[in-house]
Amino acid sequence: MTAAEHQELVEFLERDQLVGDTSQPVGRMALSRPTSAALWALRVFVIVVSAMVIYTFVSQLVH
Amino acid sequence: MSPPPAPSLLDGTVSGDGAIALPPLTPEDAARSRDRFRVHKARRHGRRWTLLWLLIGPGILAMLGENDGPSMISYATTGATYGIGFFLPFILVTFVMAVVCQEMAMRVGAVTHRGFGQLVLERFGPLWGWFSAGDLIFTNLVTLIAEFVAIRIGLSFFHIGSGVAALLGVVLVVFTLSGGRYWRWERIVLGMAVFNGLFLVAAIMTRPHLGTVGHALVTASPFPGGSFNTLLLLVASTIGATVTPWMIFFQQSASADKGLTPGDVRHGRYDTMVGAVLAALFGCGALIAGAALFGHGGASIQGLSGAGFPAALKLVSGNAVGTLFALGLIEAGAVAILTISASTGYAVGECIGVAHSFNNSTRRAAVFYGANIGAALIAAVIILIPGAPLLSIALNANVLATVLLPVALVFLIMLANDRELMGKWANGAATNRIAGVIVVFISICGAAYAVDSFLQAVHIV
Repeated sequence: MTAAEHQELVEFLERDQLVGDTSQPVGRMALSRPTSAALWALRVFVIVVSAMVIYTFVSQLVH
Repeated sequence: MSPPPAPSLLDGTVSGDGAIALPPLTPEDAARSRDRFRVHKARRHGRRWTLLWLLIGPGILAMLGENDGPSMISYATTGATYGIGFFLPFILVTFVMAVVCQEMAMRVGAVTHRGFGQLVLERFGPLWGWFSAGDLIFTNLVTLIAEFVAIRIGLSFFHIGSGVAALLGVVLVVFTLSGGRYWRWERIVLGMAVFNGLFLVAAIMTRPHLGTVGHALVTASPFPGGSFNTLLLLVASTIGATVTPWMIFFQQSASADKGLTPGDVRHGRYDTMVGAVLAALFGCGALIAGAALFGHGGASIQGLSGAGFPAALKLVSGNAVGTLFALGLIEAGAVAILTISASTGYAVGECIGVAHSFNNSTRRAAVFYGANIGAALIAAVIILIPGAPLLSIALNANVLATVLLPVALVFLIMLANDRELMGKWANGAATNRIAGVIVVFISICGAAYAVDSFLQAVHIV
């Protein structure tokens, strides 16, 4: 690839769109204690409800 | 003393004094840049329709991809169970919810140029990132099984066996992945997705009473009677037929992979809305076609362990309707296998931190392509098990997607509100209020079905 070709290809992409940039991790968000607690509550809720759906599905299969 | 190695052009352009003046370019960047060149050209010359043509894709694919086999079977089941009534406008409401969610996913992808899995992992930590990816991979596997089931049901109408259904799905995935270009993959799948319209044609051919359709749309009635648990199952599976975790992963990652930028957000919104309108029309088509069986008893839907809609429609509405519905199911299953496998590949690649783009060769993105094909292969093997309860698998795949959706939605809302990442593109107050209502509504619907059916399963009620 020549320098001119390279220049042309870079021109059509935004700088933060390049793989070199997107592969750099963005910083971690600081979650407040209530937010963390809410996320965990949601996670537990989802696991319990999923387990109920799966149990029902399997029991319907067995019977 | 040997001279230092000269900087390579792939590592960055070398200026006269030997300094790197331009950023390094990977083959993935180069492929994306070629697509962006056409977008720049269309924009510069004011070619509005060309620009729209170039920028549509992820939204339509997410929406029509979700008009998949189990979704169309869910819609047809509600039509066959309750006729044309409450569920017709309810489908439209669920697509409004889908537009709100998918617009956020597109916007986050276009602004950050990163996929959903990657952002959750980096912004909230590996634990939440892997939880999200785990949810996705699990629901995707179940849904992929249901997609192969849909293809199997469609092919069985033409007396073609399950082995062909399994082979067809896997071959399609392999075929579309070859080429190393996002653009090529997207256009092939878009071309296939057009045939989702077969459900609308089938619906028209059942000659529905237009007054009944209009009355249902305006009044959302008649409201379904009968078993409360069946009603909850169909409500939950109808939601799961429209808004799912894989759509969020897919549209955000595909928007980034396509190379959308903040300047393309307006077209991304058009893309999402066009997709939603088409998908709602075709989804309503499946319900109306299924409603032709209303009053003919569930007994007519007994083929293939309870999902023989094409055969039942052939008996009630004629061979052409049955054929169209069967072809529609094959299309719906095939397109969804491609989009859902892609979302699995994106999620796995993003969470592991390896190349995850269709703009890479198979050698450069082996994990991404491997996850794509692997997910489809596992599902293909499972449908070969004889006597599997196909209708139950299809409906429960949607319910499971509904149940797991709130977590993905909450993270999506948090990302779309993250001003550090999104700047002026962050959510407004109105979007947040609507998104909050959607999360609560979906959580209640999923939980209501889960609790009610669980209590019945353990014989408490």
